[in-house]
Amino acid sequence: METIIQIQHLQKHFGNLKVLNDVDFDIHKGEVVTIIGSSGSGKSTMLRCVNLLERMDGGHVLYHGKDILSGQMDVNEYRSKVGMVFQSFNLFNNLTVLENCMLGQIRVLKKSKEEAKATALKFLDEVGMKEFANKPSTKLSGGQKQRVAIARALCMDPEVLLFDEPTSALDPEMVGDVLDVMKKLANEGLTMVIVTHEMQFAREVSDRVIFMDKGVIAEQGSPEQLFEHPQQERTQQFLSRYQSR
Amino acid sequence: MRIDIAKTWNIFVRNIPLFQYGIEMTLLFAFVGTFAGFVVGLLVGGIRAIEINEYDSTVIKVLKNIGRIITGLYIWIFRGTPMMVQAMFIYYAGKPVIGWTPITAGLIIISINTGAYMAEIIRSGIQSVDKGQNEAAMSLGMTTMQTLMYVVFPQAIKNSFPSIGNQLIVNIKDSSMLNVITVTELYFQTTSVAGSNYRVMETFLVSAILYLILTTLASFLLNYLEKRMDSEGSMKDFCS
Repeated sequence: METIIQIQHLQKHFGNLKVLNDVDFDIHKGEVVTIIGSSGSGKSTMLRCVNLLERMDGGHVLYHGKDILSGQMDVNEYRSKVGMVFQSFNLFNNLTVLENCMLGQIRVLKKSKEEAKATALKFLDEVGMKEFANKPSTKLSGGQKQRVAIARALCMDPEVLLFDEPTSALDPEMVGDVLDVMKKLANEGLTMVIVTHEMQFAREVSDRVIFMDKGVIAEQGSPEQLFEHPQQERTQQFLSRYQSR
Repeated sequence: MRIDIAKTWNIFVRNIPLFQYGIEMTLLFAFVGTFAGFVVGLLVGGIRAIEINEYDSTVIKVLKNIGRIITGLYIWIFRGTPMMVQAMFIYYAGKPVIGWTPITAGLIIISINTGAYMAEIIRSGIQSVDKGQNEAAMSLGMTTMQTLMYVVFPQAIKNSFPSIGNQLIVNIKDSSMLNVITVTELYFQTTSVAGSNYRVMETFLVSAILYLILTTLASFLLNYLEKRMDSEGSMKDFCS
């Protein structure tokens, strides 16, 4: 399997607090990886390090073998290939739904307006938000916003799409809509890395599940392996806390 | 002494050309000063909103600090001294060097002065924009400049529009201070009229009413613009 991104010896600390301690992590083409773990285990921070929203204190990010931080590749160009969906949606408040999906295409990919619009409408249709294209983004519900945010990221034709707890800020009845869109994308073969607390969803869509604890990858494997036969005691403890809830 | 309404009206009617010229000058200074001050404010406020991060390289840190110190000095001086004093000092300091007219000097002075206030308005506007907006733009691969232009500034300006607009009203009134360098705006014209007819109270009543009309019209204009900004799709031109 072709490797798109390799994270090597990732270190991150906030002040004296070590959040990530020598993490190695690869992302392969077409793979759906979910990252689970309790709050504060470093999973969101790791995801944010992958597209350099968080500065790394040590380690390397290799994109198709090229070291991003050594200046072999423009950071902005790299980021345009690695999409990100945020917990708090972060749609551009000053723009409409359609404009949210066009801005990056026009300014970063230098596409023409017509081309950008066609692509935007295609992906808005895919997430079921086409009829909201001309609405101001501030007028949408959380679930709608998140689906637009996914469309916005898809418009950039990313090689990898990162999801940082995409359903954690949603009302329970909205979670299903967003997860359905993500399942569809997973089935279409999109490469995805998902930080989530939705265990059932993780089990269904993942090719690989990573369990993080105290800033390290404690255990990883196929969903069956990790959910049915966890090897580590801390994985078992974490999962049993989830099942008993 | 009581105010004679008929006389007041007569003073206005007989001196319409003088008052009209004064009003035109006042509006010129108010609009140019507010607009140019706004542009200055975007630049200075933008520099002041840049955060210094612990992981910046030393060169970047030094540059950011220099920017912060220079813009800080600018705001400190121009907010901390009266515009009248600034006008006298700058006009007479520049006159032998550039040989400028009171109008040119006045336009520059009111713009610099307004810029100092605008810079603080814009800075707080920028800081009121959610950090997630920046992160989303970065995650699409947009440069810092693009992020500012298409995402942060439009929202910052919208958030602080009432304060920005307020500067227009302030400038309609405060342009009167430029009479000290013989800019023939409304206050200057009023003193000329009063000096020839010796009816100071009536003449300045005319002036006060004219100022009130100007500021009232300006606040109508600002309300209209604010409403238009709130309505749908107002920021379209920033994307398409």
